[in-house]
Amino acid sequence: MIEVLRAGLCDLVMDQGRFGYGALGVPVGGAADPAALAAANRLVGNGTDAAGLEISLAGPVLRFPAGGVVALSGARFAASRSSSATVAWNQTWVLAAGETLALERAEAGSRCWLAVGGGLAVPPVMGSRSTFLPAGFGGFQGRALQAGDVLATGEGRREVRLLRAHPPVSLAGASLRVVAGPQAGQFDDAGLAAFFSGSYRVEAASDRRGLRLRGAAVSHRRPELPSQGVLPGAVQVPPDGQPIILGWDGPVTGGYPVIAGVIAADWPRLAQLQPGDAVQFVTIEVEAAQELAAASWSIEELG
Amino acid sequence: MANPEIGQPSPGAAWRWVSERGLRLATGDATLARYAVLSGLGLPEIEDIIPADGTILLILRRGEAVSAALRQALVAAAADAPVAGGTLHEITVEYGGTAGLDLAGLAELAEMDAATYIKCHSAVEYTVAFLGFQPGFPYLQGLPSTLYAPRRASPRVRVSAGSVAIGGRYCGIYPASGPGGWHLIGRTDAKLFDPQRAEPALLLPGDRVRFVAA
Repeated sequence: MIEVLRAGLCDLVMDQGRFGYGALGVPVGGAADPAALAAANRLVGNGTDAAGLEISLAGPVLRFPAGGVVALSGARFAASRSSSATVAWNQTWVLAAGETLALERAEAGSRCWLAVGGGLAVPPVMGSRSTFLPAGFGGFQGRALQAGDVLATGEGRREVRLLRAHPPVSLAGASLRVVAGPQAGQFDDAGLAAFFSGSYRVEAASDRRGLRLRGAAVSHRRPELPSQGVLPGAVQVPPDGQPIILGWDGPVTGGYPVIAGVIAADWPRLAQLQPGDAVQFVTIEVEAAQELAAASWSIEELG
Repeated sequence: MANPEIGQPSPGAAWRWVSERGLRLATGDATLARYAVLSGLGLPEIEDIIPADGTILLILRRGEAVSAALRQALVAAAADAPVAGGTLHEITVEYGGTAGLDLAGLAELAEMDAATYIKCHSAVEYTVAFLGFQPGFPYLQGLPSTLYAPRRASPRVRVSAGSVAIGGRYCGIYPASGPGGWHLIGRTDAKLFDPQRAEPALLLPGDRVRFVAA
């Protein structure tokens, strides 16, 4: 059991996502970096599909009345424990009964994931425990956590193994790798030049539905398009020319031309973008992107 | 200057990539038939299949490439086999008044009185072309061309759940309250989407709909 003493900016119960409902208008959603949540789950002895918490920019204060086995992955946040022990990332640790974990501001990046032994025991909706905020279902009562909430946890493993996780090597620098198209042809030369050689800033109005960018306008030849299926990472350009990178909870269909698609290997980097961050785009071939997507976390026994 | 076609298959190819995980297949009028065929194949590398307006998006599982079986399905001639008739739903609508604030204006645009507009709208059978925008929001094809209407210049901040609306050549029904840019002609009590139901969406691609005036 976990008591929420203070809620963060947007603490969401998430698992690997809700698969197979795109044709009903429901996106996969789930953790913005599912591999990072899966790694945290492995560190606490859970199956990779267990539900944990996705914490954004400013975190919650959580009390564990019965203690628990926990792990954090993703962006480093300023953090403390009531026992004064240090809070480590990417490794297993054990909270004593009654201990409090306080997560403050993200020090770099935007999101971290907290896994607890046994997983968060919210009822699955359409096969997933992930919160889908736009329609208000899944997760904890379909919403972000609030002070006073009490989260049930499942039965954890009896024996605790202390493990450490290593994330896949991440590319430094601001460039996001994209496959160009499918509607690059609907933009004029100036628009294409602006997009592929320009630099954009992430706007504050960004959320899990989409990352709104501001920079050189991407001008169209034709701004309209019949509704087409889209997926996270697709870069839509509405008539004002300011690109939107669709996020995990974005719509499954969209009516704006897609100039490029961010490759799956760089979705974890999308999860860590903050308002004000600079973004540039560099093209990559499909085959190369498919090989990159296989990079994964490794787990090792501690001492 | 970047080449916008880098990484895309040749211009004549059956599909175009949306990142390395999405295959956008142009399907035109055969969208529902191709959707039925592709869904029925149960290809293991496919995570999801999303029909839309004249196209289908196939989403590959992470790290998967296009298999020979999938490649064959993508280039297969558009199935001219008729789609098996989907379930027929009768949806009761309260037309006009506060339930359909734009009905009077649309009737005027179509140069008919409100009663004729309602008769015209409820006389035909619609087919669910695809769902999108919100979970369970159906894009219904079959609207008489005299009733086509461009979207509203400025979207409403709040549209009630169950609102029956017109957008371009489609009729739609808002499953949940929220912002919306289509013209409202009426409202239904039918629950279009409920994530707790065994079948969360009332209407599925290929289903048929008849509107009945309350």
